[in-house]
Amino acid sequence: MKNIFFIIFLFFFSIIYSQDQPYIYGSFESNSQLLQDDESIGFLSPEDNFRSNNYFQINYQTNNILAGIQYEGYLPSSLLGFYPELDNQNKITNYFIKVQNEKSDITIGSFYEQFGNGLIFRSWEDRQLGINNAIKGVRLKYYPSDDVELTALVGQQRDGFNYTESTIQGLNTEISLNQILNLKDTDLSIGTSIVNRYQENGSNDSIPSNVSAYGGRLNMYSGNFSLSIEGAIKDPDVIANENTLVSNRLYDGTALQLDFGYSKKGIGLNTTFRRLENFNFYSDRLAEGNIYNQKTLSFTPTLSKQQDYLLTNIYVYNSQPRLVMNSIEKRSGEVGFQNDFYYTFNKDNFLGKYKTKIAFNFSYWSGIESSFNEDNSYNVKFIGKGPRYYRDLNLEIKNRWNSKLRTAITFLDVIVDKGITLGGPLGVQGDIKAKVGVIEANYLHANGKSSRGVVQHLWTKNDRKNWLGLVYEYGISSTVNVFISDGWNYGGDDKTHYYNLGGSYSKNSTRISLNYGRQRGGLICIGGVCRFVPESNGFNLNLTHSF
Amino acid sequence: MRNIIFLSVFLLSITGFSQKTLPNINLKTFEGEKVNVTELSSNDKIALISLWATWCVPCIKELDAINELYDEWKAEVDFEVYAISVDDSRSVKRAKALVNGKGWEHNILLDTNQNLKRALGASAIPETIIVRNNEILYQHTGYRNGDEYELFEKLKKLSKE
Repeated sequence: MKNIFFIIFLFFFSIIYSQDQPYIYGSFESNSQLLQDDESIGFLSPEDNFRSNNYFQINYQTNNILAGIQYEGYLPSSLLGFYPELDNQNKITNYFIKVQNEKSDITIGSFYEQFGNGLIFRSWEDRQLGINNAIKGVRLKYYPSDDVELTALVGQQRDGFNYTESTIQGLNTEISLNQILNLKDTDLSIGTSIVNRYQENGSNDSIPSNVSAYGGRLNMYSGNFSLSIEGAIKDPDVIANENTLVSNRLYDGTALQLDFGYSKKGIGLNTTFRRLENFNFYSDRLAEGNIYNQKTLSFTPTLSKQQDYLLTNIYVYNSQPRLVMNSIEKRSGEVGFQNDFYYTFNKDNFLGKYKTKIAFNFSYWSGIESSFNEDNSYNVKFIGKGPRYYRDLNLEIKNRWNSKLRTAITFLDVIVDKGITLGGPLGVQGDIKAKVGVIEANYLHANGKSSRGVVQHLWTKNDRKNWLGLVYEYGISSTVNVFISDGWNYGGDDKTHYYNLGGSYSKNSTRISLNYGRQRGGLICIGGVCRFVPESNGFNLNLTHSF
Repeated sequence: MRNIIFLSVFLLSITGFSQKTLPNINLKTFEGEKVNVTELSSNDKIALISLWATWCVPCIKELDAINELYDEWKAEVDFEVYAISVDDSRSVKRAKALVNGKGWEHNILLDTNQNLKRALGASAIPETIIVRNNEILYQHTGYRNGDEYELFEKLKKLSKE
């Protein structure tokens, strides 16, 4: 309750001083579900069958001050599959004040930050994934010139409604070399970072209390080409599994990412290579590999195309940066690449007068070839012939036939290791090979109403066999939309229908959506970060409003 | 539960008071140049802003549709399109290839750690905003086929005000 008075105070405070052109902005988001038993998918709803995640944030800004707070409530429980530490809690979780001038700014309280690609450090929020790993402490940014940005930070990382016991410190530099080197047609920038975790080792002297990770990077744009390189190393540290140290032995970690791009009007090409060997960094040494993605410092997301259709996102990949050594499996990390190609045809081809667009994506990810020794050490190659974890090939053709009709055809060919999709050890259970075809049509009716229909089919002889998917969406007006969909696993033993129907209302900055149906269990990935969600059945209500 | 109700009422009550302006946040171009959001619509210019990402299908549909019609629209209304990518470091490298591969004419800005998205409370994208002199005149979440025509009507109407 005290917190709410604080909000009100802040609000009136700002009104009184509103001559000075300050303003208030914020947002409210509520995601709720009402679950019900569904015997045919083997789902028994938990005792708390109404579950709700709620977020309220408000910010206050003047010319040089920005202050904000965020309240979160998970009442009576958080949505199914979220971090259980959040259940039945509500309070103000994040608050900060930032004071800035031309040359510098300082933030006290909770903040989000990222160094480079985030290989060694990224703190951020994703509500659909249940991630908020903000740092609470002090952050200082200093801009000695237009070309240089320096960041220093210290604090503790958020873990649910608490903070981890370790102290995180970080330093980052970003330098643009264009003026310094007097470059004409090239943009060149470099950056370095260091992040340290101090965590007491208790009575165990053989594990380090200080562990640091160091990163360096270079970005270059020249004409139609772009190139970026980022590398990182992590000090030797113990490895852990399910909250327990594997041994007292220490292992260092390395990461390397290369991006190369070429593009000009109508053509775009991008290739990313990444190698992660024992590369994950948490604010708690025992948090390694936790399934809720909590307490992460390093950000090593899956690099493959994010799938959006009902059936294309069944067999997805989840990145594997860990060093794992136990009796059932041994592996040291991940290596692979992803390619993107985009092409737009010139006008006036046989597909009509509008430009036809093609997108092609290919990715391949495998383990790094390694051999493991009796004394728990290991030998590793740079790439070698590690077991394949994932391979996909996507082709998408979009065309607009006239002012009313647009179509998209998508084809996906995917191979995924069973351990990735179903859990268990990697590289020993065999593969799932699947092909998916999708046809989507969007039609604009004469009276301003619109229709969207999607037909899709998944072919596989493995796992749950074939699927058929159908979606129909009807836009009644620009504010109201309704849909019905079904993912039918007709090839499987249970012939399950994952049906859903619902609608949404969206006006200005308010959006309300309600749907009812079955949730397919499995990996849900957003922005390359994945979490497992269990199968369920029920109603979902989402409300967002910003002001 | 009582807290939630209380907060909701409180929230609705302040909605009436709050000024609709864009927050003072720096974004970057592909080349690393800093651009402040508040400068996009100065001097009475109309800016059409869309928050998008390489992995967001409706966002790409919307920006494709605007791109196809841009020349036609521009003949009637003077405005600039700013497509602000909220791609994080995972996918931002693909953004340039996508933008060029699709032949977009839009100005592209990057909101890599999603500071602007968060400040706008845009939990879903695309988030489409029309601003002039940094004042938000129109805001809409989501895209369905045909929404671009309504957007154009808004632009025409606002440009005459």
